[in-house]
Amino acid sequence: MPNAILDPTGRADHTPQHAAGLALAPRRASLAGVRVGLMDNTKHNAALLLAEIGKLLITEHGAAVTVAATKANFAAPAPDDLIQRYRQDCDVVITGVGDCGSCSASAVADGIVFEQAGMPAAVICSDAFRVTATAMAQLRGVPDYAYLVTEHPVAVLSGEQVVQRAKRLLPGVVDMLTSGTSQ
Amino acid sequence: MTAAAPETALDPDAAQAAIEHCYARGWSDGLPLVPATQPLADEFLAAAGREPDEVIGALPQLDRQVTVGLAAVNAVMAGCRPEYFPVVLAAWEALTRERATRGGGWQSTSGPAPLIVVNGPVRGELGFNAAGGVFGPGFRPNATVPRAIGLIVRNVFGIHPHELEQATQGLPGRWSICLAENEEESPWPPLATAAGLPPGASAVAATLLRTCEFVDNRHTASAEQLLADFADTIGRSGAWIFRYASAGIVFCPEHAQLLAGAGFGRAEIRAFLAERSGRTTAELAAVGKDALDSNGVRLPGDGAGKPEFQPQLPDDEPRNLLIAVAGARNAGISMVVRLFGGWSGEAVPVRSKAHD
Repeated sequence: MPNAILDPTGRADHTPQHAAGLALAPRRASLAGVRVGLMDNTKHNAALLLAEIGKLLITEHGAAVTVAATKANFAAPAPDDLIQRYRQDCDVVITGVGDCGSCSASAVADGIVFEQAGMPAAVICSDAFRVTATAMAQLRGVPDYAYLVTEHPVAVLSGEQVVQRAKRLLPGVVDMLTSGTSQ
Repeated sequence: MTAAAPETALDPDAAQAAIEHCYARGWSDGLPLVPATQPLADEFLAAAGREPDEVIGALPQLDRQVTVGLAAVNAVMAGCRPEYFPVVLAAWEALTRERATRGGGWQSTSGPAPLIVVNGPVRGELGFNAAGGVFGPGFRPNATVPRAIGLIVRNVFGIHPHELEQATQGLPGRWSICLAENEEESPWPPLATAAGLPPGASAVAATLLRTCEFVDNRHTASAEQLLADFADTIGRSGAWIFRYASAGIVFCPEHAQLLAGAGFGRAEIRAFLAERSGRTTAELAAVGKDALDSNGVRLPGDGAGKPEFQPQLPDDEPRNLLIAVAGARNAGISMVVRLFGGWSGEAVPVRSKAHD
């Protein structure tokens, strides 16, 4: 009987830690009066894009305020204290831009954490990173997790182009925060 | 590892079937793997004197942990011999001291490569190449130790190209850069000694690279001219994306000896290059990198309020300019290495049964 060939992954009989699936946070029918958290990940134009979307949610959808903060380490999921701050100060969260190998994956991880914390979340990734964003969703046991994509690249856009991009993303963000899907 | 079997007892068909099995399971970096068995993995563990369940790395965001046992299996598959395994573990530990490897470095669009530098008696004992062709290929320990690191990242962290690994182009030799320092022809103390370990220690230093680029300068006898050539290569704008960037130099013996003869040690070289490596603000404006955004990322600006010359290295500390010596003493060809972040500035002792 020859020796067995060893599996180098350590995952041969592994069931994912987060395999319970995801119940999305309860949605409201409208965004009127809600406090909108904006969590940018330091990627260039991310803060501006989120701020512009936030402004449109206030002027066009009656959101009350926006609360902006930065996730300093774009590569890692948001630390617990940052999640807790949003939980205290906001009703919904928008985060992004997933615009690199690790930050697109971690943006999706953040969105899932926000949903688990009871906050509707809209995650925005560049379309060049769909595969890695979806890989993270699978890793978290939520393979069908819905996030928004915007055309790559984002970092080279002018301020005016970012404003236009925000307008285009707005309907998807509203859908995501109110129904949990985007058209 | 047991001695090679007599040729007539070898079964190439069985070997090929086992190799294809490894490909089919998605374990390979593209090259054939050595199929790992428990008896062979046990020899690796014995050589290192380490327990298989010991955790030596984790990426909680990916729900993954590296154990000594899994590292051994991957080192087997990379083609290491059991006695190389302590070097693999030291290289892995040195890499875990780099901030990027605990964050998103392995997933990065830049596709960074480990640079692994081996010092001490272990070089000769295991047959590491420190001389000609030190960036490879041709030498089993130099080739298989970094490959083992790559296989751990792939198989244990589960970071596969086109999935969680998002390298835009990657770089040549991503899992194959492992140098032994040419201590015998270096005018300076070994890198591990400079990093604070006792003289004569077998040790590994490691960091992450964006790429390597040569400086070929064979015709000046002036240390200042020679270093100015390095300053130009280090200071180039393409490698520069944040306020500062860090680098390293793997000097060939000829360059190192010329510099030492003129009174330059590592510290003097770092001081010289920290002052002179960079570009003028006008040159940076011409490539759209003269200004900084609020996150310290370079972008086009109007040059206002900027000094005429912007240095690329943040300071003259070892962590921002790693200096090692390797290669043949046959030409004035050295390598500038582009650090992904900074180097930890540390070296990790090789702990093996043989050295206990």
